Amino acid sequence: MDENSSARLKRRLLGIVYRIGLFLAMLTICLPGLWIVISSLRPTVEIMAKPPVWIPQEISFDAYVSMFSGIGKGGIPVIEYFRNSLIISVTSTVIAVAIGMAGGYAFARYRFRGKSSVFLGLMLTRTVPGIALSLPLFFLYVRLGIIDTHFGVILAYVALNVPFTIWLIDGFFRQVPKDLAEAAQIDGCTRWQAFWQVEFPLAGPGIASAAIFAFLTCWNEFALASQLTRSVSAKTLPVGLLDYTAEFTIDWRGMCALAVVMIIPALTLTFIVQKHLVGGLTSGAVKG
Amino acid sequence: MKGFKPSAPFLLLLPAGIVLAAVVVVPLLLSLYSSFTPFRLIKPETFYVFIGFRNYLSILANTDFWWAFGRTVLLLTIALNLEMLLGLGLAMLVEKATRGQRILRTLMMFPMMFSPILVGFQFKFMFNDNIGLINNALQSLGITQDAIPWLIEGHLAFIAISIAEIWSSTSIFAILILAGLLAMPKEPIEAARVDGCTPWQTFRYVTWPFVMPFAYIAMTIRSLDVARAYDIVKIMTDGGPAGRTELLWTLVARTAYSDGRMGMANAMAYFSILLSIAFTVYFFNKLAAARTQIGAEW
Repeated sequence: MDENSSARLKRRLLGIVYRIGLFLAMLTICLPGLWIVISSLRPTVEIMAKPPVWIPQEISFDAYVSMFSGIGKGGIPVIEYFRNSLIISVTSTVIAVAIGMAGGYAFARYRFRGKSSVFLGLMLTRTVPGIALSLPLFFLYVRLGIIDTHFGVILAYVALNVPFTIWLIDGFFRQVPKDLAEAAQIDGCTRWQAFWQVEFPLAGPGIASAAIFAFLTCWNEFALASQLTRSVSAKTLPVGLLDYTAEFTIDWRGMCALAVVMIIPALTLTFIVQKHLVGGLTSGAVKG
Repeated sequence: MKGFKPSAPFLLLLPAGIVLAAVVVVPLLLSLYSSFTPFRLIKPETFYVFIGFRNYLSILANTDFWWAFGRTVLLLTIALNLEMLLGLGLAMLVEKATRGQRILRTLMMFPMMFSPILVGFQFKFMFNDNIGLINNALQSLGITQDAIPWLIEGHLAFIAISIAEIWSSTSIFAILILAGLLAMPKEPIEAARVDGCTPWQTFRYVTWPFVMPFAYIAMTIRSLDVARAYDIVKIMTDGGPAGRTELLWTLVARTAYSDGRMGMANAMAYFSILLSIAFTVYFFNKLAAARTQIGAEW
C-alpha cells in the first residue's frame, strides 16, 4: 500500500515537472516575438523608460500609421520595399517551382546513372554562402547592367530556390504510388496526360507547400539582396530594415512595427503548409 | 518511345542545370579566377593582373582571418550540437503531451518564420544594455544592479549571437525529430519494456536509431544554410566590438565592399565555400548511411 502511494506521488511530481518544463520551453519560443509586437504598439517613451514599464499603459498604432504614410513622415519608404519584396518573391517562386517540378519528377520517377551524385551536386550549389556568391554576382551584374533591378534579384533567387524545391517536390512525387500513373497509361493516357491528370493533382498540396517555402526564402533573404540592390527601385523589406539602424539613434518602435509587417505574411503562410512541409522533407527517410 | 526514354530525366533536369550554371557555377568560376588577381573595385584594370597564390598566402598569414575562421567553426559546433540536443528535448516534450498537441506543434514552428535578419534585430533589441528585455528583467528581479553590456563586451556578444542562432534554428530539429517520433511504430517500444529495458535503454537502443535519419535530414537542411548566421551577426554587432564577433562571412563582406579588395575577398570566400561544402557532404553521407541502415530505398 505504501509503495503504491509513493509511486503515485512520484508520478504526480513528474507530471508537474513536465508541465513546467513544457511551459518554459514554449515561453522561450514565443516571448521574443510577442515582445516585438508589444513594443510596436507602445509609445517610445515607454520603451525607453527607466525603471522599465512592464505593462503597456496605452496602446497606439502611431508607428504603423507613420510607416505607411510615405517617405516624409515615416522616414523610410516601406510601401516601395513591400512592393519590391512582393514582386521579386512571387515571380521567382513561380519560376523556381516550375523548374523544380521538372527536376523533382525526374528524381522521383526515373532511374539514371549517377542519380545520387547529381542530387548531391544540386544541393552543393545551395551551400554556397549568399555573401560569397554575391561577390562575383555583384561584379557580373554591374557589367551586365542588371544591378539594382528586379530581374537581377529574381534570377539569383530562382537559382537559390531550385535545389531545395527539387528536394521537396521529389519527396511529394514519391508519395504518389507509381501504379496510379501506370494504370492511367494502360487505360490510354500518354505519359504527359497521366502526369497532369493523375500525379499532379495528388502531389498538388505538397507542391503548393514547396512554393510557399520558396516564397518565404525569397521574402526573408538578406545577404544577396543587401549587395545586389541599392535603391528604392529594388530594395526588399529585409534590406529596408537596416535603414532604421543607419543613423546613430535607433528607432526601436519603428523597427518593431516593420518587423511585424514582415512577419505577418510569413506567419500566415507557414501555418497553412506546416503539415505538408514536414511530410515532403522526411519522405524516403523511412520505408512507408 | 523506347529510344526517347533514357534522355527524359536529362531533359527534365536541363532547366535546373541551366539556371544553376548561369547564377552559381559560372560566377563561382569567375570568382575563382579573380581570387588570383589583386582586383580592386576602384581599379578595374587590376582584374587582368595575375598574381598566382599571393592572395591565398597573405590570407594564411593573416591572424584576423584565422580568428574569424576559428570563431565560425566554434559557433557552428556549439550551435549545431545544442540545437540538436534542445530540438530532441523539445520534440520529446511535445510528443508526450496528451492534449493540445496541434497547438504546441504550431507554436514550435514559430521561430522558423522569422527571417535571420529579424532574429538578429529582435535579439539586438532584447540584449540592448539600456532598454533591453533581458537587462530589465535581471534588474527588476534584483539579480544584478548594473546593466550587463551584452553586445558591447566581446565574449558576451558571442554568447548573445549563439543564443540568437540557437533560438532561430532549434525548431527545425524539433519538428523533424517529432515527425520521426510520431511515425515510429509503438510495438518495438512496448516489446522493449516487456523485456525489462529501463527507459534510458529503450530510448538509446530503440527510439534513437529510428529517429536518427530524421535528425540527419535536419542537419543536412541546416548545413545547406549555415551562412544565415551572417545576417544575424551583421545586424546584432556587425562583427564588433573591435572585431571580436567577426565571422568568416562578415569578414568577406567587409573586405569586399568596405575595403573594395575583391580579389582578396574572393580568396577568403573560397574558404567559406569549402567549409559549407564540407559540412553538407558530411551530413549528406550520414543521411544516406542512416537511410540504407533502416532499409529505405534511395
